[in-house]
Amino acid sequence: MLPVVAGGLTVWYLLPVTRQRPRKYGLLLGLLALAGLAGFLLRGFGDRVPETVESVLFFGFSGLAIVFAVLMITGRNPARSALAFALVVLSTCGLFLLLAAPFLAAATVVIYAGAIIVTFLFVIMLSQQEGPSNANLRSREPEFATAAGFLLLATFLVGLQRVYDWRSVDAAIAHASALARADKIDPDYLSPRSKADVEEMKPDPPPLTPKAAAFVAEMRSALDRVRVAAPRGPDDRRLTEHKTVQELQNAIDFGLPTAFKDPDGDGVRPACQTISDGLMRLKGYRDGTNTFHDVTLSEHGVVKPIDQPVNERQLPAANVSAVGRTLFTDHLLAIELAGTLLLIATVGAIAIAGRREVPA
Amino acid sequence: MIPVSHYLAVGAVLFTLGLIGFLSRRNLIVMFLSAELMLQGVAVNFVAFSRYHGNLHGQVFTLFVIAVAACEAGVALALFLMLYRRKRSLDVSLWQALRETDVPETVDTEPLPPVSPEEPLPKLPPAGVEPERDEERQYV
Repeated sequence: MLPVVAGGLTVWYLLPVTRQRPRKYGLLLGLLALAGLAGFLLRGFGDRVPETVESVLFFGFSGLAIVFAVLMITGRNPARSALAFALVVLSTCGLFLLLAAPFLAAATVVIYAGAIIVTFLFVIMLSQQEGPSNANLRSREPEFATAAGFLLLATFLVGLQRVYDWRSVDAAIAHASALARADKIDPDYLSPRSKADVEEMKPDPPPLTPKAAAFVAEMRSALDRVRVAAPRGPDDRRLTEHKTVQELQNAIDFGLPTAFKDPDGDGVRPACQTISDGLMRLKGYRDGTNTFHDVTLSEHGVVKPIDQPVNERQLPAANVSAVGRTLFTDHLLAIELAGTLLLIATVGAIAIAGRREVPA
Repeated sequence: MIPVSHYLAVGAVLFTLGLIGFLSRRNLIVMFLSAELMLQGVAVNFVAFSRYHGNLHGQVFTLFVIAVAACEAGVALALFLMLYRRKRSLDVSLWQALRETDVPETVDTEPLPPVSPEEPLPKLPPAGVEPERDEERQYV
């Protein structure tokens, strides 16, 4: 929450208004927001960022990109905004290099930072104004715009955290396997039916104890998280669950409550073992340590087995030739369309900007 | 290897900043730059997914994004030049006659700040002594 609130205040504070605000406070808030974002990235997703040169470069480039983006949208001088945007593009190119896309980085530098920004500077030069102007010194609804933007950002970040933070699943697995390996089941979990109930054949089963209910709920939410990772068959487009998911669902919904109501709790250990094994297996699918040998997933129309874990999926070393091959085999039509689009845009720009006699 | 989620977060931040700039600024050029900033945020996402999945389709898509952005820049800048010739300003609110009929008009109430006098350019002190000129002398 901290980075979002501090960032929102920073941007709102720095947006141009007719009154002059001292920039000092904006700077402080911005530093706070950046530190908060860095902390979120370091800890918020559960996996540790390795302490390597790569992480230093990543944090450096992304920090530069964000700082210059803020300077760009808050600048009062459009020429400076354009230059700040060029620096944002250069920092993003650094990120592209880290992501093994050297050709794209070079192309972006040439096209964006070179051609497009220079065109911008020409237009700024041609439409220069003297003195203060409404265009540069006023903002439209800065409060609403900032609030809307940062609400969106908060949604993005919370969504990312929900998808990529698997610490709750790890905790559930640890919990279940601890219970499966316990010598003696904690009596707080068990709610045995009393003798009188059994003799009278009361149909109502006793309720679970609070601890047992919490345990079942934890397992259920963990299953909800890992369910998406389970592979599905290629032919079956209906949402048939993988058999591990079905086993897990059964164990959580029926096996575990029944075992907890057993007086001696004998069924608890095998049920917990099943659950922890199943969760581990699905987590392995998600991490890519379990590969889909028996299943095939569809990858843009072509059904092929996914037999490489995520960490070992590599891009080809010869980036330029590989990109060229992909462009001219898989995306040939798109290339033709892009070329046509460029041609039409050129014609259109000339037609629009041509100096015509404006009828009086 | 930095996990893909981190790149996605950076892309989201860039996109949001672009969105705010587009919504709140009134200079046409800065608005357009903000739109390009949003494209940069999306490009980071594409390239990060490309790395994550180990295929090049994300990078190729980003190339197309760049091509479309170039087209956009050409046409939009031509438009801006024409608009500037009509109104002598790049303020987008000058064109609010084009708004929907039920939207109230934007009126600026606060006056613009006074022009701060421009700082004079620094003057270099004359350095050294001007050498004596011998006009008569002829250099061959």
